[in-house]
Amino acid sequence: MGGPDVPIEPPIALRTVRGRRQWPLPKQADPNATLLVVENLRTYFTLSSGTVKAVDGVSFELHDGEALGIAGESGCGKTTTALSLLRLLPANAKVVGGSVKLFGIELATKSENALRRYRWREISVIFQGAMNALNPVLRVGDQVAEPIVERLGLPRAEANRRARELLELVGIARDRAADYPHQLSGGMRQRAMIAMALACDPAIVIGDEPTTALDVMVQAQILELLERLREQLGLSLILITHDLSVIAETCDRVMVMYAGRVAEEGPVRTVFSGPRHPYTQMLLAAIPNLDSDKRLLATIPGSPPDLRTPPPGCRFHPRCPMAMDVCREIIPEEVRYADGVRVACHLYPPSGDGTRRPIPILEVTGVDAPGVTAAPGVTGAPARGGGAAAAPAGELAP
Amino acid sequence: MNEELVRLEDLQVHFPIRGSFADAILRRRHGAVRAVDGIDLAIRRGEVLGLVGESGSGKTTTGRVIVKLTRPTGGRLLLDGQDVTAVWGGPALRDYRRRVQLIFQDPYETLNPKQTIHDFVAEPLEVQRIVPLASARERRVLEALEAAGLRPASDFAFRYPHELSGGQRQRVVIAGALVLGPELVVADEPVSMLDVSIRTEILKLMLDLRTEHGLTYLFITHDLSVAWVIADRIAVMYLGRILEIGLAEDVIRRPGNPYTQALVSVMPSPEPPEIGHRAKRQILVGETPSAAAIPTGCRFHPRCPWAARAGILERCRTAEPPLFDMGNGHAAACWLAEGGRPLPVLEATPAVVPQTAGVTGGAGPTPLPAANR
Repeated sequence: MGGPDVPIEPPIALRTVRGRRQWPLPKQADPNATLLVVENLRTYFTLSSGTVKAVDGVSFELHDGEALGIAGESGCGKTTTALSLLRLLPANAKVVGGSVKLFGIELATKSENALRRYRWREISVIFQGAMNALNPVLRVGDQVAEPIVERLGLPRAEANRRARELLELVGIARDRAADYPHQLSGGMRQRAMIAMALACDPAIVIGDEPTTALDVMVQAQILELLERLREQLGLSLILITHDLSVIAETCDRVMVMYAGRVAEEGPVRTVFSGPRHPYTQMLLAAIPNLDSDKRLLATIPGSPPDLRTPPPGCRFHPRCPMAMDVCREIIPEEVRYADGVRVACHLYPPSGDGTRRPIPILEVTGVDAPGVTAAPGVTGAPARGGGAAAAPAGELAP
Repeated sequence: MNEELVRLEDLQVHFPIRGSFADAILRRRHGAVRAVDGIDLAIRRGEVLGLVGESGSGKTTTGRVIVKLTRPTGGRLLLDGQDVTAVWGGPALRDYRRRVQLIFQDPYETLNPKQTIHDFVAEPLEVQRIVPLASARERRVLEALEAAGLRPASDFAFRYPHELSGGQRQRVVIAGALVLGPELVVADEPVSMLDVSIRTEILKLMLDLRTEHGLTYLFITHDLSVAWVIADRIAVMYLGRILEIGLAEDVIRRPGNPYTQALVSVMPSPEPPEIGHRAKRQILVGETPSAAAIPTGCRFHPRCPWAARAGILERCRTAEPPLFDMGNGHAAACWLAEGGRPLPVLEATPAVVPQTAGVTGGAGPTPLPAANR
């Protein structure tokens, strides 16, 4: 399946100078506006059994050339948030409120028809399963050329030439443009998906779990590619993933979502080195870390709520080790602190100074966990077990 | 009682590549996919052995041989010191299955949507006919469900899979593996489909069960960091061979094989990188070659970062390195590890230098005429 080894660096650059657009902005664009401003976005799904408030009051910004990572467990509204920007939603979903401003242009009120000008041309998506997202009966090059013909109206020959350049940019040899998807390996298919997303030189690329189904080494290759493209093209990226480690390595800012709302948002380094929201703290303590001396993970009890009937007050309170009475009644408002972190939690009231409140980690697991006995004859592994047992609660929280 | 519960000796699984009908008549040979290509491995009683590899490494095939779903084409399989390679039916196989059980990856596909939880867990007991009394069977099923953390078990027993969450389904699958009281459980990517929160729960359950029931696990995963959390020892597979094996700490902290070294270096870490930290990564070029065309010599040599840097040893191209002992039960299959030498520290991969416009002289792709926008 390997195919020819293609050098990681392609010989050409798509955009000449970082951050400079090759194409004019849409006519109504305000050149001084923030690239993307989302305010109080709400997207509901209508089911026969009730209304699912999948996204319920989400606000965030994306600046030019920035990478924003959206994290959270399955069913927290990550993908729905991103797909709501251009209303790429299933029929039973509806954006019921909020505002989405791209270059200062309001997209939320635009008609389906008017929105089409922005789909793929200004915001494109790298979907998760490259295996399913590519059409098996079309040549890869033609699939990459299609949005160029459809959206930019270029002649076929020119679009094909550009498609081959794009393939080369993402590390696929030009002559493989004539291949069908099944002739490419998993990693190359994902690269082709990226080439497709870049076809119209969009302002924003949304990566929806772009590396989740891939092997470790291929994931590293794709992340490296995205990083290079960001550098080379000044790409603005929204990366949706359940893997916080991927965000730590590739994004500038992280937004942690829980049950359709933002729990915490801020610069990656600040949030990862001192997570404030109990949910962020628990998520981070639950990721395995090769760099850590202790081979332990924290256990997060429970699962995200059913969004047809979300719990009153803070939606995280049933799982929160720090839950107070107020959490069961009042939805916490988002507070932004001087270090750029925004957090929605009653532990951090608007009047407070935002000092971090570490949560006790109640239960840990892993071969170093207290109570885990290793095999007879397996030496070495349990040596530090006692040390871990003696460790004060909360030490796990980064 | 043998300290080694399972032992593989020079195990081979070669799948013939089937040609056309004409080829078959003319007896033209087509070669084989060498999924598992001669591995020696011992699983010690009571340990969690992490078998780590990328797709195409042969890790799942190895697991399937151990649970007797795939026939090896060569080598031996020993359980508790007894050669069971030829056991392919009858009471001996039934006895083997009672002692060795399997947990599959996807709890959504493992469970039959039309079967209750109780029936799923009870099925092995019925097949085995070891508990003839229905009431006793019932009790065994409830015990297994309780042990898998589905409490109270009687609440869960008569539900259908669609009524359960992903974590609960995986617990049901684990209960099904437990009900016969096995000694070895082969778990093939048991947590890779699960969310972080559920993943920790299941790992914890597996470790608790080891303590309570004295289980031994072969934990098959592509994720080195999960193996780091749960495994006592880690074996790294590549293209049908074990390239490295040892205590988890030795393999992760002092890898003796360049492939392991590269795998460790690219594992994303939840700690945001310092400036220049990313240069530590060694990203291998290309993907695992096909197991139908395994490179000569060391099968990793075409992708080995040492080949790109220091020039490759002639030996790497011509001779397959055996597992060299590096002390403390740690062994690595690399000519650089001969005589137990540690792998020299490889300085950072030169970070991929983006070719900027300045370098290429602005010869980017042809700009589209603005009028087309």
